[in-house]
Amino acid sequence: MLFRNVYRTLKRQYIQLLLLGVIITLSSFMYTVMDYAIVGVKEPTDQYFIDANQEKFSIKTLDLMLEDDITYITNNCPAVTEIPYTISSLKAINESCYYDLQEYRISILTSEYPNIFLELREFKDVYFDYGDVSYKIRALKDSNDINLSTIVDGEKPLLDTEIAVSEMFAISNGLELYDTITIQSTTYTISGFVLFPDYSLAVFSNDLIFDNKTQTPALFSNTEFESLNATIQFELAGEYNNDYDDDIFKTEVIDTFHDRNLDFVSSVVLTINNIRSGAIYADLNGGRAQSIGLSLLISGIALMIVGIMVSKVLNKQRGAIGILKSLGYKNSEIALPYIFFIAIMALPTVILGYYLGYLAADPMKNMFLLFYLLPANPIQQSALTFFISVITPFSFILGVSYLIIIRMLRQKPVELLNPEVSSSANIITKKVGKLIKKLSITSKLQHLLLYRNLVKFAVFFIGMFYAAFLIYLSLGMVGIYDRMLFDYYDNTSHDYIGYCDYQTPCIVSGTQEKVLELPSALLDEEEVYIVGLNSNTVLHPLYDKHHNIITSDIDSGLVITKSLSVTKGFRIGDNLTLQIGDNEITLRVEGITEEYSGNKAYYNIEDLAVFIGQDASHFNTVYSETPLDAANFMVVINTQNILEQAYSMQQFFNVMIYLMIIVSIVIGAIIIYILSVMTVEDNFYNISLFKVIGYNDKEINKMVLGGYLTYGVLAFLLAIPSAIVSFYAIEILFAQFYDLLFPIQFVWWHGLIALLIYFIIFLISGYVAKRNLKQISLQEAMKMYQI
Amino acid sequence: MIKLQNVTKIYSTGEVETTALKNVDLEITEGEFVVLLGPSGSGKSTMLNVCSGLDNPTSGIITIDQDVISSMNSKELTKFRRNNLGFIFQQYNLLQTLNVRENVEVGREVSLNPFTVEEIVEKVGLTQNIEKYPFQLSGGEQQRVSIARAVVKNPKIMFCDEPTGALDEENAKEILGVLQMLNREFQTTIILITHNPSIGVMANRIVKLNSGEIVDIIENKNVKNASEITWG
Repeated sequence: MLFRNVYRTLKRQYIQLLLLGVIITLSSFMYTVMDYAIVGVKEPTDQYFIDANQEKFSIKTLDLMLEDDITYITNNCPAVTEIPYTISSLKAINESCYYDLQEYRISILTSEYPNIFLELREFKDVYFDYGDVSYKIRALKDSNDINLSTIVDGEKPLLDTEIAVSEMFAISNGLELYDTITIQSTTYTISGFVLFPDYSLAVFSNDLIFDNKTQTPALFSNTEFESLNATIQFELAGEYNNDYDDDIFKTEVIDTFHDRNLDFVSSVVLTINNIRSGAIYADLNGGRAQSIGLSLLISGIALMIVGIMVSKVLNKQRGAIGILKSLGYKNSEIALPYIFFIAIMALPTVILGYYLGYLAADPMKNMFLLFYLLPANPIQQSALTFFISVITPFSFILGVSYLIIIRMLRQKPVELLNPEVSSSANIITKKVGKLIKKLSITSKLQHLLLYRNLVKFAVFFIGMFYAAFLIYLSLGMVGIYDRMLFDYYDNTSHDYIGYCDYQTPCIVSGTQEKVLELPSALLDEEEVYIVGLNSNTVLHPLYDKHHNIITSDIDSGLVITKSLSVTKGFRIGDNLTLQIGDNEITLRVEGITEEYSGNKAYYNIEDLAVFIGQDASHFNTVYSETPLDAANFMVVINTQNILEQAYSMQQFFNVMIYLMIIVSIVIGAIIIYILSVMTVEDNFYNISLFKVIGYNDKEINKMVLGGYLTYGVLAFLLAIPSAIVSFYAIEILFAQFYDLLFPIQFVWWHGLIALLIYFIIFLISGYVAKRNLKQISLQEAMKMYQI
Repeated sequence: MIKLQNVTKIYSTGEVETTALKNVDLEITEGEFVVLLGPSGSGKSTMLNVCSGLDNPTSGIITIDQDVISSMNSKELTKFRRNNLGFIFQQYNLLQTLNVRENVEVGREVSLNPFTVEEIVEKVGLTQNIEKYPFQLSGGEQQRVSIARAVVKNPKIMFCDEPTGALDEENAKEILGVLQMLNREFQTTIILITHNPSIGVMANRIVKLNSGEIVDIIENKNVKNASEITWG
């Protein structure tokens, strides 16, 4: 009979219990899906990195020819009569001398740091169009010791007409093994699918594009690699011996190389801090932390609501429990049905969450693999995940319920039989009451009725704050690629960039403009890409954040990009030392251009040419509005390629944005719904009394539910500064860890949209509560009840 | 002032129908103090509910002054109660988060022509306790607050449903004294439900109910003060 009574009592609250079940399921689901997906990627990844001997760090060396390099060439390469000003150009002139020089640089480094081992990592970026789509391939020369290529299917390219690409690139483009692709008029057969441990994320530049559909790392035969028509680029892949770990390496190498005689080294980056190889570590560890954090937050909210609900249900049963006690039932006999039914209700929800999480883990893992170029294992269940996802929340819910029941059962039967005297004027309601004593009673009650139950108020406020934060975060990502790329290219008119071949003079005609681009210069010892422009440029004007043209500033100093300013902390008015080779000059930062795509500095082209020891008319790049003849240049880039990739990345981010907004709406709506219904129930007799006195529905609604609106808006407003601070922190973290700018941004209309979403959630969720409110009869006030 | 013509109220619970009031006719004049007396289930509360517009009769007409409240919709009834009626119940129904002054303010805020809170609190003898919260007051004091909350509206009619039901004799007499004072001082019509026959001595008329019908109406020519009641 006791079981039947409890069953019927709980059955009457099925909607609230159902929604509560949704929250508990969501919490269990979130943890399970993230945990299994991450484990499914992490375990094979760890093994793969060991097998492929992933670099522990990489060293960027200057492409510029320094005095020491020139001395080396003069002494060791008699065949090189005219020394070029870049190392990459040397390869085209004398390959053997180029490799000797690279070995020479490596030997300087290893004699300075005997605990490290280095290997030259060469690559070329190749652009090509297929159909309407533009593609970018990073061709990596196969290595011998570090960053070994791994063929996951098929074979390594042995013939000059073979290529290995990433499997995701092939799948995304409907390609299979032994299909052919045409790159720069050469047709290649796909001999295999390849992975490179230093490119677990296909990021080939500073523009945060990691789209595996339009770009892929690729492997060619060594001879074909050399004949690819693109500039050779290089880094040094490194590992250290057992005397080092990442921390020691940082102290002994990263923190000291600037002070040693190693001018040719521009940066030393640990693998975990390199976005192309380290983002996966951050994502796997961060993803796990995020999933735990998110689950804890949702569980916390769910458990607080469980606590309130169990407490409410049991308080309604005070009289019944009192009678049972007076009849001689033992505490355990009375408690058992409650615990039993709470267990019966909670267990399926956590198991459902776990099971759905397990099912969703595989698609989630595949989502990781849409972006990360990694091997993966099938998802396997683990006892630990089951325990954390199911047993822990289940035990917690039962524990909370048990404590509430036991606390009530400790009272004497006579106390239980008498209505509970509420002493709900707690210290906070008294304090707040004094603060708002000048308000009308209707307005005052809006606040005081909420403060009556502080746990409920906390659940509401935290929940709304969290939902608001999620909405701001997702809206902050709107247009991230606009800021990074589209705006920049919208402001410029050079749709084509031609890089001159060192051995063939460039031809400039019509409206084309001469530009001098130097990819590795040092600005206050930070590596930057320096671009020499004519201050009258039409094709590449520079704009500040107010959209004023500031190109003329380059005649008196430097104009730096926004990303350089944020990542390196340079400001207008700073005097920075520009160093190219052995030439040094101190220049003032005259302006910051609203450009996010890389660490660039702009300077007057003639001054720059003279500074590097060339004639004032020297240039190496041509900007053009119209297509350039590829035969006249070493490489021609169509900027449309970059924009298309950016567009595809923005599409991905948009999906994320919508998902996050939906999640926040669901969380917000459930919380508002449950709490507003609870509030109507809690104030059943008050509402009836207000009705009897003559308050109309609008006034009652304002008193009982209006507080939620006020404090919800407050939570949404308070979330704004938190969001702004977080965005700033994200920007700084990205800049510090990856030397990248992630321009997530809060603008005023995000606040308006978030508030609009909140009003809609509130109106929809409050609708049911208002219906319940209308159903309360006037005679309820007459019943014997102490409020 | 209040006129009930052939008023019947039938409650339906599933297939069971219960007649709570049967063809009741009654007139109550302005400023009158009327006690509705009867045992449990006699129809007292139902009569108070329909007279005050808290419930609609199944049939019959109820008029207060010129207003036919039995044909008013929910909105009209709310407005009518707001402007004309006050209620006191056996339970005090005070808002625990508000102090005495604020609880009385709850009644004042919806009224067109209210008294001041201080004036009414003084009338019910709670000036010293005006800043206290309900849980700091005795049962009698809490009931005084609920009276003050009803009276501050300056209502034409006060409906009192067993206002002394939860009080001891001493406190009950004090509360009845307050009601009598309001009736005499402000000419407020008072309709009071009780099952205690002794209270009838302070009323102008005693209406006895049984099984939903008025079985007797007694004119009381010798109205006594509340303090003179011999508690039954």
